Amino acid sequence: MQFSDVENCAERMSVQKKVLIVDDSPAQVKLIQGLLEPEGYWPVGLSDPRRVEEAIAMERPCLILLDVVMPDRNGFQVCRELKSNAEFNSIPVILVTSKDTASDRYWGQQQGADGYVTKPFTRDELLRAVRRFA
Amino acid sequence: MRNTNVLILTDDAEFARLLTACWQVERQLPGICLVTSEFWKEADTSSPDLIVVGPLKDGKLGDVLRSMEPNTALILCAPSEASELGLLRKKYPKLLHVPLREDWTQVVLLLAGESLRRTEALKLARQAERHAAQYANQATLGRYMYDMKHNMNNALTSLLGNAELLLLEPGGLSAQSLAQIKTIHTMALRINEVMQRFSSLASELREGETQSQVETEEVNSTPTPRR
Repeated sequence: MQFSDVENCAERMSVQKKVLIVDDSPAQVKLIQGLLEPEGYWPVGLSDPRRVEEAIAMERPCLILLDVVMPDRNGFQVCRELKSNAEFNSIPVILVTSKDTASDRYWGQQQGADGYVTKPFTRDELLRAVRRFA
Repeated sequence: MRNTNVLILTDDAEFARLLTACWQVERQLPGICLVTSEFWKEADTSSPDLIVVGPLKDGKLGDVLRSMEPNTALILCAPSEASELGLLRKKYPKLLHVPLREDWTQVVLLLAGESLRRTEALKLARQAERHAAQYANQATLGRYMYDMKHNMNNALTSLLGNAELLLLEPGGLSAQSLAQIKTIHTMALRINEVMQRFSSLASELREGETQSQVETEEVNSTPTPRR
């Protein structure tokens, strides 16, 4: 990394808000990145939900967008574990999921989620939810 | 009993007259068809629910019974020997014998009523089984669709989101591409509406089912008054 890269990176960090997107589908990650970037956010994608804590420690995001139906570790589980971890529980978590029943929403709330966006969402719906926290 | 049919097969006009007259004063009357042994094979009997066999000409009873299905519900009012009856009962398990005594009409009406009610109940049960099988098929389809909803929503997210991303910078697109992307976007929104309607219908049905279960349990738990 050259000095100018480091400088750019530092500048970006001071201006842009970093959002961690956790979704097992790379296409969905790419899509959300594409929607957030033009709005001045710094989206970081992660497809493996088992590495969420590691990614947070490294990236220090100010918001997490979390899918629910994922292999190995579902979003409800991830959210519950983040919210019971003193190191991470202050980071807002928005569940972004195709699970759209009232009981799903309630369960998400019970796991400590700060927001809930159902798939498919429009750009406006996603941005409205993100802007509440970042 | 209104949807059931009875065939009275006899060569004795008085027997037929008396039986139909007694039946006509009953509250519920089945469809009645009268036929003599002479026309028994030719007559369009359209599978009656019950056959009442009255006195027949000599030697006709055997012919008539031979031509009947073993499963036919049958009331035999013709005079018959005990040994002969035993053999007949083996061949026709649903055969009932009513000796022609003073009260034979009342006995026939009573037995016929029970037999027809049973036939009707069986018809209803079969109908209910058919409906249940149909509903089970539909439920399987519904469950499959419901299970697929997650995949459908994910695919829709990509469709809708990517269309929106492309529409964010319309400058680089030709007018035709722009119109096509707008169509994709509109159609994706429409599919989303359809899926949402499907979801709300599914939750409504679930609520209805829960409510009906609660009501059934309430009815079942209510103690029945002793008579």
